[in-house]
Amino acid sequence: MTETKTARLLAFALAATLISAGCARRDMSNEFFGQLEPPPGQTLRYISGSEPESLDPHMSSGQPEARLDIALYEGLVEYHPKTMEPIPGVAERWEIDEDATEYVFFLRGNAKFSNGDPITAHDFVYSFRRGLKPELASRVAYMAYELKYAEAYNTHGAFVRDPKTGRFLPASETPKPAEGGGEAGAQPQPASPAPHDEESLHRSELGKKGEDAAPDTEFHRFIHTPERLVVPADEKDRAKALKADPKLAALVEGKEFVPVRAEDIGVEAVDDRTLRLTLRQPAPYFLGLIQHQFFRVIHGPTVERFGVNWTKPGNIVSSGSHMLAEHKPYNQLVVVKNPHYWDAPNVRLETIYFYPLEDNTTMMNLYKAGEVDAVYNHTVPASWLKSGVRHVKDYMDAPENVSEFYVMNTRKAPMNDVRVRKAFNMAVDKQALADWRVVVKPSYSLVPGIFLKYPRPKGDGFDPERAKQLLAEAGYKGADGKFDPKKFPTSEVEINYNTNESNRQIAEFIQAQWKQNLGITVALRNTEWKTYLPMRSKLEYKGFARAGWVGDYMDPYTYLNLYTTKEGGDNGTGWYDPKYVAKLNEANREPNEERRMALLAEAEKMLLEVQPVLPLVIPATSWMKKPYVKGLYPNPQTLHAWKFVYIEHDRSKWDQRMPDMSTADLAELGR
Amino acid sequence: MTEDRTPQVPTEEGRSTEPHGSGQPALTPRGTPQSPPVSTRRGDEIHAFPEMAVGEGDVRTVDEDARAVSGTSLWKDAWRRLLRNRLAVFGMVVVILIIVSVIVGPPLIKAATGFQYDTMPGDSKLTQSFPPFSSPDGQFSATHPMGTDSAGRDMLARVLQGGRISLMVAVISTFVSLLIGITWGATAGYLGGKADDVMMRIVDVLYAIPYMMVVIVLLAFFGGRSPLQQIFLLFAALGAVSWLTMARIVRGQIISLKNQEFVLAARATGVSTPKIIFRHLVPNALGPVIVYATLTIPSVMLQEAFLSFLGLGVQAPYASWGSLAQEGIQNIAVFPWQLIFPGVTMALTLFSLNFLGDGLRDALDPQMRKF
Amino acid sequence: MFRFIVRRLIVTVPMVLIVISLTWALIRLAPGNFYEGEKKLPASIEKNIRAKYGLDQPMYVQYGRVMGNILRLDFGNSLRYENETVNDILKRTVPVSAVIGFCAYTLALVVGITFGTLAALKQNSKLDYASMGLAMLGISMPNFVLGPILVLVFSLSLYWLPPARWGGFPSWNILLPVITLSAVYMAYIARLTRAGMLEVLRSDYIRTARAKGLTERQVVMRHALRGGLLPVVSFTGPALAILITGTVVVERIFALPGLGNYFINANLNRDEPLILGIVAFASILVLIFNLLVDIAYGFIDPRIRY
Repeated sequence: MTETKTARLLAFALAATLISAGCARRDMSNEFFGQLEPPPGQTLRYISGSEPESLDPHMSSGQPEARLDIALYEGLVEYHPKTMEPIPGVAERWEIDEDATEYVFFLRGNAKFSNGDPITAHDFVYSFRRGLKPELASRVAYMAYELKYAEAYNTHGAFVRDPKTGRFLPASETPKPAEGGGEAGAQPQPASPAPHDEESLHRSELGKKGEDAAPDTEFHRFIHTPERLVVPADEKDRAKALKADPKLAALVEGKEFVPVRAEDIGVEAVDDRTLRLTLRQPAPYFLGLIQHQFFRVIHGPTVERFGVNWTKPGNIVSSGSHMLAEHKPYNQLVVVKNPHYWDAPNVRLETIYFYPLEDNTTMMNLYKAGEVDAVYNHTVPASWLKSGVRHVKDYMDAPENVSEFYVMNTRKAPMNDVRVRKAFNMAVDKQALADWRVVVKPSYSLVPGIFLKYPRPKGDGFDPERAKQLLAEAGYKGADGKFDPKKFPTSEVEINYNTNESNRQIAEFIQAQWKQNLGITVALRNTEWKTYLPMRSKLEYKGFARAGWVGDYMDPYTYLNLYTTKEGGDNGTGWYDPKYVAKLNEANREPNEERRMALLAEAEKMLLEVQPVLPLVIPATSWMKKPYVKGLYPNPQTLHAWKFVYIEHDRSKWDQRMPDMSTADLAELGR
Repeated sequence: MTEDRTPQVPTEEGRSTEPHGSGQPALTPRGTPQSPPVSTRRGDEIHAFPEMAVGEGDVRTVDEDARAVSGTSLWKDAWRRLLRNRLAVFGMVVVILIIVSVIVGPPLIKAATGFQYDTMPGDSKLTQSFPPFSSPDGQFSATHPMGTDSAGRDMLARVLQGGRISLMVAVISTFVSLLIGITWGATAGYLGGKADDVMMRIVDVLYAIPYMMVVIVLLAFFGGRSPLQQIFLLFAALGAVSWLTMARIVRGQIISLKNQEFVLAARATGVSTPKIIFRHLVPNALGPVIVYATLTIPSVMLQEAFLSFLGLGVQAPYASWGSLAQEGIQNIAVFPWQLIFPGVTMALTLFSLNFLGDGLRDALDPQMRKF
Repeated sequence: MFRFIVRRLIVTVPMVLIVISLTWALIRLAPGNFYEGEKKLPASIEKNIRAKYGLDQPMYVQYGRVMGNILRLDFGNSLRYENETVNDILKRTVPVSAVIGFCAYTLALVVGITFGTLAALKQNSKLDYASMGLAMLGISMPNFVLGPILVLVFSLSLYWLPPARWGGFPSWNILLPVITLSAVYMAYIARLTRAGMLEVLRSDYIRTARAKGLTERQVVMRHALRGGLLPVVSFTGPALAILITGTVVVERIFALPGLGNYFINANLNRDEPLILGIVAFASILVLIFNLLVDIAYGFIDPRIRY
């Protein structure tokens, strides 16, 4: 072969690529992205994210699993398809006492599992107790720690009883250990304001709350006794805990230890259709929390019979609008309509195909080729948005219940100086970052601005001059007293992020910003995810580390409580302030919504003042759905209650733009 | 011509280049025979896929050995033959051109347009991907002959910078693989017997270990000082993986050489074992090794691209051709130039290297040159 | 022959055990674990998890358990996909990888041998140059570039073929991955065949065959191909082993539920039983395929004896 032939061959290959690429580009100007052929009947093909770790709602924590679990299981409450607010699920209605520590749910009489068994309060009791079982070792069990004694049970705790009097020691009698609780299995902080150790007194208080929606029971009286002291049940662990706290050791000397049982958790089936949940401390966000898959109801007999295999097709009994028909891991998961579901007449989708996929390019290819009808969030690459993809009519986005930020290692110089932390924050033009990423919003605080009632504190804005001044004050200055980038220990700071296209682009942008605004070139370092996590949580990184948090529920507290534990590096910042924790607890005790939000905002302000985090952007749920898919809304978490979704075969009724999100009335959704 | 082959060459897992019609290739039970001898041409099984190379090496025929012994004129002859091969010269010229432009290109671009591989425009309207030869308002402009990437950085500068990294990966990893592979393979081949058996089984075992885990562990323990250090570590890791096939090839060569008269003579005069291996045997085995080294380069470059894809590769804002192409693939439907330029540059380089490698092989092996 | 096979099989066992031990050590050395996520787990929950999976036991106990599992060829349940055993996963994913691999290799064999033989018969002709040039291009073109280009042309521009996903066998879905995967192999086989054929065509027995007055067709089909394909056979063993144990890049591009895809994710997720299971399976497979190739030699080339 001669050179000219080689050249010709290459030219041909190049031309072919360019031509085909050109074709693709022209399609972009179409009204919709790719093919528009609805599947026959009521069938939806949806890309749900990576392969679910488990279909057991107690054993998974992520959104990919949540999307499937919403179809398979129903909880007391369900997500509103537009606002994500709690709407009735298995529970028809509920009552909450005034300090938000007791929730009574009234279940509907026609709720059934997919095998026809009725769903009763006892099933919920079983589900909650099973999820918290220490031997199950659920990773998300902490979500239920708000239930009274749930943490004690999940962590092998024991009550302390005086053998002489038979009286259990209340938590309030203990000298408070150093803030934060210390060792594993330590006692939950007693947060209920008024500790009474006299049973009689307590009963009278109960009497005051006598309007309680459900009748008083023996369990109810027990659970309302003042919070008991809990110590580790395991002898070795207990010895360790007592050694660390001599006062506690003296107190429990000669006492007997009664392990906390599943029956001690604040979950009670008052009768078949009444469920009462008692919390250890006020939690006004609790209704939002129990939308999570962890709190959805599972069928006890099936679980007991099949053990770890209970979620396999053929074994599984589900409680949601759909039931499992087929599961081929890494390929597809098929659910079909559950005929026993209480709202079955209103469920329109007969079959949903969930495709587990991770690669955005592959997903968008499948979507464009019309092989799938909708995809999950963050699937449209940010760089495409400037090319016109944003203007196709099937593109969806909404401000998301997600915050994207950098954490800083506050234990290591130079970032242990708050002035340095603030300076680096001020030297990032977040507006420019947001403009570049197109649909995202600049963020100056930890909590995203999607909570309308939350008076979001405004952190420091873009101010490179002030940033330089702060750095000069921190000692990085030349002879003239002005900031001198050469004095800054550049090698002690880097931007760490886990490998991901979008993380890389943002890191490169931030790097360029600091280079431009401060004259400091910070190195970038990407690490594979599982290497990255321990490095961040053990504070083994220098400077900055990328973090993101998807809200577990629709309340600012889901973000603010990221920094409330002292153990384990506080999510990678090294910053912990008991005053901040106290402020959050105070907020949660506040029954008035507006005042509570104000208190939460005050707490966040405290956080922003010391700046252990560098807020970047509030992402947007950037995804697509074909116009014939109705009832799938761009909500803040991109979690969809499948019973509202259907395929519209009448072309004239297809969506011609992003669905209207202003009307939240369920009746208008065809209900 | 081969009837006088002295001892039956152990061709465990190997191939003899012995032409058909000669005596029966024998299986010598030195170690566990991996595969019987098979007759084929040298070089064609040594390919850009080290994991594909089955054998532990080629075995020379006697006339090649005679040539090998004849010393320096071999290299002169080979060079002359190489220059007569037009395709090989074409490959060599392209490779040299690419190396030169990768070295002098980035400073030239900086001088001409002010862009470096990591220069991001300050104006957010400019931080997006523009097609080749166009200005932000759609007019013709020579500022970005390859267009810009999604962050508005000059693709040409990035492709050239990526070339530096990719070519460095190629050179350093190949060097590491040569260093370890020759030492290990030559020692095993020369010592023979139990030692050979054990050493080659170690190679087999290492071959089966998932190298992704190796890279993860290496990066975790030695990585993280600076992006440049990580790149070098990556090179070392890649080299450390690709020496295995090299060791097999060297071993095969050494086995075929070690019973030659010149080695026997050296041994008789009391030359020490390391000296025999590295002074006498290795230089004579270099021909096929150099050829194989040329072919290792593309495979290492492709592996680097794959590691970058998994996040175990080069650190941003540095890029390699592989990582640029990976990024381009994601945007192929929207910004095809992001794939085409790094992809074509990479393919062109590999294409030329393959020609050069073929040419080198032919030049070093005149008998086969006509094919 | 029989003794040879038995001896080879016996050596396999300790080698696989060593491979597994080293892999296990690597997994334990690697940072991170299978359960950690974005939010740091409370220490108490971490403790429950460690107790459940026996991670709180001494290292030698854990190692012993791993080795015991390997010897029983039961790798236990995956850590990430809790209700699946590693054996289930292997049973499900190997056929997928194998179908794609076999199809790709068959395609590569048919095209590669055809063009390689033609090129050898018409040495230095245009056909020779063209097919060898294409082969060179095939070797130089990374499959992670080729795959997306094929998808762009055939799925996203022409809408002829599905761009990704497994649709069972046979289905249109496998066409693009098979072509992407076979390109490199096709190129190698064409080059190997051409080289092998050239050598054989000049050998004495072919000259004899021609002298006997056999037609060119008979010479090529009956005599030349047999000897000329030996290099292809030696290439086939390890190539097939690699193809069956999953071709990561293609499986990722086309989202196929094959072994390679699982293996990468198992590494990234630190899913110890799954990594060990796949490594054991793959190393056994490679050793067996090498053995099969050796046996195949005996049939193709009667001069080889054991």
